[in-house]
Amino acid sequence: MADAKDDAQKDGAQRRTHTLLDRRKLLAGGALLGSAGAAMAGGAAEVRGTTIRNGQIWRPGEADYPEDATGAKGYRFFTGAEAAFVEPASERMIPSDDLGPGAIEAGVPVFIDRQLAGPFGRGDHFYLGGPWPQGLETQGYQTRYTPADLYRAAIPAIERWVGGQFSGRGFKSLGGADQDKVLTALEGGDAKLKGVSAKAFWGLFIENVIEGFFADPIYGGNRDMVGWKLIGFPGARYDYREWVGRHSERYPLPPVGLKGRPAWDRA
Amino acid sequence: MTRSRLALALVCAAFAGGLLFAGATLSQSATEAPPQDAAGRADGGLSVEQLLARTTPPNTPNRDQVERGRQLVIAGDCAACHTKAGGAPFAGSRPIRTPFGVIYSPNITSDHMKHWSADQFYRALHRGLDDDGHHLYPAFPYTYFVHVTRADSDAMLAYLRTTPAVAAKRPANALPFPLNIRGVLVVWNALFFHPKPLQTPAGKSAAWARGQYLVEGPGHCGACHTPKNMLGADETSKAYQGGVLDNWEAPNLTADARTGLGAWSVDDIVEYLKTGRNARAQAGGPMAEVVSASTSMLPDPDLRAIAVYLKDRPAAAPNAGGDPDRAAMARGEAIWQDTCSACHLQSGEGQARFFPPMRGNQGVQQGDPTNVVRVILEGVRTAPTPTRPTPLSMPSYAWKLTDREIADVATYVRNAWGNKAAPVGADKVASLRRKLDLIRPPLSSWSKVDQR
Repeated sequence: MADAKDDAQKDGAQRRTHTLLDRRKLLAGGALLGSAGAAMAGGAAEVRGTTIRNGQIWRPGEADYPEDATGAKGYRFFTGAEAAFVEPASERMIPSDDLGPGAIEAGVPVFIDRQLAGPFGRGDHFYLGGPWPQGLETQGYQTRYTPADLYRAAIPAIERWVGGQFSGRGFKSLGGADQDKVLTALEGGDAKLKGVSAKAFWGLFIENVIEGFFADPIYGGNRDMVGWKLIGFPGARYDYREWVGRHSERYPLPPVGLKGRPAWDRA
Repeated sequence: MTRSRLALALVCAAFAGGLLFAGATLSQSATEAPPQDAAGRADGGLSVEQLLARTTPPNTPNRDQVERGRQLVIAGDCAACHTKAGGAPFAGSRPIRTPFGVIYSPNITSDHMKHWSADQFYRALHRGLDDDGHHLYPAFPYTYFVHVTRADSDAMLAYLRTTPAVAAKRPANALPFPLNIRGVLVVWNALFFHPKPLQTPAGKSAAWARGQYLVEGPGHCGACHTPKNMLGADETSKAYQGGVLDNWEAPNLTADARTGLGAWSVDDIVEYLKTGRNARAQAGGPMAEVVSASTSMLPDPDLRAIAVYLKDRPAAAPNAGGDPDRAAMARGEAIWQDTCSACHLQSGEGQARFFPPMRGNQGVQQGDPTNVVRVILEGVRTAPTPTRPTPLSMPSYAWKLTDREIADVATYVRNAWGNKAAPVGADKVASLRRKLDLIRPPLSSWSKVDQR
């Protein structure tokens, strides 16, 4: 972030209008992307265009299926210390109560763990090269960290900050009200963390907790489809043509995930 | 497995006996005059002298004859066997997986066919002998091509001689002894090859006769749709009642209302052959190739003729049905609701020409459930045709559904909405999954998870 500020100051004299600057930077960015693309094409295996005739390529028996994250026990990415923050923090956001199971019971920490251990954690879907000017909030994820690196860097920084605020105690040992204070400070950016943006982490974390509660159970969270049952979402169904004209009628089928539902095996 | 072993043993026995007269028959047959073809019809009433005079193709290519030959080569779907996936047209080397072993199709581009005389080609179609007089395996359906007229045979050769020359060497066939000795086919022919000229009963239309010629002759529909005996010969008493090949079931084409074409109109058949789809079904698997490469390219009157002839066959091979387990049906219904109904609808009605209806579907009610199980396992793609160039595909469920789940939903599809067919067991699915070398589902079944 510091680099970005320096760059902005150097550019200050030339900055007649924001529009001009943005356009110039956009063009520079475009050139960079172009050369990166060329380098990839040259360095990696040969790239060829193919004309597809007679319809799209289709091969019997092939499927692009998700990895089943429900089988294995324990964490693949989180250390014990990290789990000691993620578990109570997510449970604080979605607690077990009269409405049903909370984040831990629903497997939210497991979901986040499996995601951080895979392509999402590596940031495979992000452009993570420079330059790194201060981004706008509307531009979304704007850090040099991969999601996994962000969790790895932020959690110890949060625990240090918590220790400073609560006489050396860890987040897990705090009471609910104090935990809420910590989370509120993270959300508002009031918690000043060393080397990592509290707001950037919060933005990613709250999103991942929600995803873990509502994503398909195959990914480790939303166990037993508790998230879907809570809001009445029928799950991984695809088409409701037969229901379009049937008003004021309750949709009778229970939710279903990619792995199915109990009736597939138990009837 | 047992079936082909038994067949092999029978062939060995037949071969031992057959050798005694094989030599005599072989030398005799080489000098024998070509048999009269199907009542000499469509030969334009040519005399023997005129026919002989035509055996040397004219030096200048005859455009009309070549075009006629091209259409016949399409009608015969020669490319189905003589063009391999991704290979040059008609250059052969496609593996034909028979129950007895793998046969590689020969090159029939001009590179090879320029050495053939019209007599040799006619002899190949009519007697299953190659240019050197060696026996061809009946995977080359000379049992049907015997009905091809001399004029049509000459036209097909004339066309093949215009195809771009490709010098292709084919791999050796993978057939066990004694089937790897072509002389054994003398015995096979003596047992099973008794061609009778096609007869058009009085009162049948010209379209019917044309349909009969296309279906029984160049089109060789029965090569797949007629069941085979243990030695791979047509069970002629069960013509068009459905056959099995390479882990597919070629469905019943008789007029049976449930398993055959009884409920199809002539227009339904024409639309299916021309576009690959109609309101009842869509062509998939090997039939998708037949439709794409052959029937969709045929002139409409020929398609209508085929339909008229097929519709006039007596009903046979009704489906005895079965008594599906109620629990299996309930599980199958749940799987259907969650997995299949998005396209095929809860009511099984589908969307005509896009997602084939399962209610009243002929294919899923065959006595043999191979096709419905296979399509669930590996998915299927509708034939692309000039009229319907965008092929729709159904995804593979091999990764998602267990053998028992596939068996249950197949049982449901075969017995819901008034359908009736024998239930499917998980062992059938497991065996097909093995044969197709499809992955085991990596997903743990529901009952084993989420119960922690």
